[in-house]
Amino acid sequence: MPLENPVIFKNVPTPPWGGFADRKYVDYDAYVKAGGYEALQKGIDDGGEAVLAEVKAAELRGRGGAGFPAGMKWGFLPPADGEPRYLAINADESEPATFKDQILIQYDPHTVIEGIVLCMLACNLDTAYFYIRGEYHHHRDAFEKAIQEAYDNKVLGENARTGKINDRWPRLFLHRGAGAYICGEETGLLESLEGKRGWPRIKPPFPAVAGAFARPTIINNVETLANVPYIVAHGADAWKQNGKGRPDGVPPQVPASFGTKLFGISGPVNRPGVYEENLGISLKSLIEDYGMGLRDGEQPKAYFHGGISMGVVSQEEVEQGVQMDFDIGKKWANLGLGTACVTVIPQRTSMVSMARNCARFYSHESCGQCTPCREGTTWTAKLLSRIEAGDGTTKDLDLLLELASSMGSMPGSTICGLADGNNWAIRTIVNKFFHEFEEKVSKSSSVSLAVLG
Amino acid sequence: MAWITKDSANARIDRRDEPYLSDAFKRSFDEKYAHRYPNRQALSLPILHAIQHEHNYLPYQALEEAAEFLGIGVSDLLDTATFYEEYFLEPKGKYTVWVCQSVSCEIMGEGDVTKAISDKLGIEPGETTADGKFTLMKVECIGACGGAPCALINEDLAEDLTPENVLKRLDVLD
Ligand SMILES: Cc1cc2nc3c(=O)[nH]c(=O)nc-3n(C[C@H](O)[C@H](O)[C@H](O)COP(=O)(O)O)c2cc1C
Ligand code: SF4
Ligand code: FES
Repeated sequence: MPLENPVIFKNVPTPPWGGFADRKYVDYDAYVKAGGYEALQKGIDDGGEAVLAEVKAAELRGRGGAGFPAGMKWGFLPPADGEPRYLAINADESEPATFKDQILIQYDPHTVIEGIVLCMLACNLDTAYFYIRGEYHHHRDAFEKAIQEAYDNKVLGENARTGKINDRWPRLFLHRGAGAYICGEETGLLESLEGKRGWPRIKPPFPAVAGAFARPTIINNVETLANVPYIVAHGADAWKQNGKGRPDGVPPQVPASFGTKLFGISGPVNRPGVYEENLGISLKSLIEDYGMGLRDGEQPKAYFHGGISMGVVSQEEVEQGVQMDFDIGKKWANLGLGTACVTVIPQRTSMVSMARNCARFYSHESCGQCTPCREGTTWTAKLLSRIEAGDGTTKDLDLLLELASSMGSMPGSTICGLADGNNWAIRTIVNKFFHEFEEKVSKSSSVSLAVLG
Repeated sequence: MAWITKDSANARIDRRDEPYLSDAFKRSFDEKYAHRYPNRQALSLPILHAIQHEHNYLPYQALEEAAEFLGIGVSDLLDTATFYEEYFLEPKGKYTVWVCQSVSCEIMGEGDVTKAISDKLGIEPGETTADGKFTLMKVECIGACGGAPCALINEDLAEDLTPENVLKRLDVLD
């Protein structure tokens, strides 16, 4: 069932309800006119605990990549002790092929701010930092403007309509990053917020206990928080009408895929862009009905279905019915839904080049503090450049797969998940398109003079 | 991220008499940012952005002054400054072209776009033209994949690039 009405993109014109060309900045007045900040008022009237209960009941799962239930995360906070408590909003959005949060930031920042203040209310957090990647220049201006409007209208700041939260007037500040993928990892983000290099921290302690400035901190993605106003305004049940629930007989502890999701589509399609649909939509329908199919002369071969770190699904798998929900990893041998921003890889593109591109990315973005990741990603990138240049051997393929299984937080040899992203990208590409790699390594005639260093 | 090894023993630090951080700069910076964070080290990224905004790069003397102003070690601030891709310790061009080289852009023809720029300007990625007008950078996804291949020219986004239209965009810059 296609989505009937947009939830998060209510104010952002998007096909089939509107056109990209009509997207514009929704300011405070326009937002209020469209029913904005009514959820905040309801949250204030009902109280923070009711908001927390509603978000828990909605089973809202994080939209930043890992799909962790937001309500559960919020529940990990220790009781207030009179000292500051923080919210860090993850607007780093630097997973390759991902460009969904920026639409909300640019055009409908007040939905995000309303979600932020509701979260502060629910979790008793007094100060929020909006960590936005350095490259989002116009987005930063738009969001700064919206923050100012929110202060001017007593959504935030002294005499805010929420009253004091954690004995302080609620505050929200934008914090600009400076070009480092690893600052999207939640503890790398916190280090960067504190003015240091973005080196992820060893957990525990988890940020909910000791996060920013060693104080309890909640970290959520922009899109996750943008769902909160709807949940508070209409209730968890209404929100759960969208998306994909648990199959009959599955116990309630098993997390489902309720709600809508922003999906990005890029690559050689007729209408690339960011769309909203139900979780559980088939990838095929997403490409055909929203991306309007591939451009003339292009044939699909594979897809990065949720940023490169989740790995790839092949066109054959998509024909068999890949659905975009939180179970995609288990069903189709990849890491998970990720950011749900899809890159279409056409037939003409070599999967060896795609693997080389991914490997270069991880070797460049590894923060360098864990030896397996720092050395392993660089080694992988060199191996793949060599294979691409036609100088690889069959043994190199074994080595490649071995490398891509031995580093990472899942084998337990690294601090954060960057190395796991590397592994899944490389392993799924190599395993699902092994013939392309075999072809490259068995061509003994192509001697190249590439110098690697 | 960047692992910069510097030749500390032989490096000559350019110094000038006039401070980089004027009293007016410090006052307005503190007014805008100081209340936001519980300590002054957290002002590192904002001050580095502010210095680079004003001087186009981060002169070493400015880092020393900034560290003193924040009450942190120069090495701590340098540690932060060298970690992030956006901070330049050397002067960069008046215009920096940041071409995205990640997957969607590569599929859509980033290679030809970069080559066209590189040929036209006579520089490789990472370099600056002799007249100091352009710096060319290849970077990872800039979050505009729907318009791939794309680039940032300073702070402006240029989407759906081709080898031809990108040169036209550079030609009109003075
Ligand atoms: C290497 C790495 C990079 C990440 N980058 C981002 C990012 O750019 N944006 C984001 O929202 N989450 C990113 N995450 C996920 C965050 O660590 C964290 O799970 C998320 O912000 C939590 O928010 P959510 O529960 O609302 O999704 C990244 C994780 C890793 C391991
Ligand atoms: S896994 Fe890689 S990116 Fe993550 S902390 Fe270790 S070295 Fe840094
Ligand atoms: S892949 Fe180039 S902007 Fe995202």
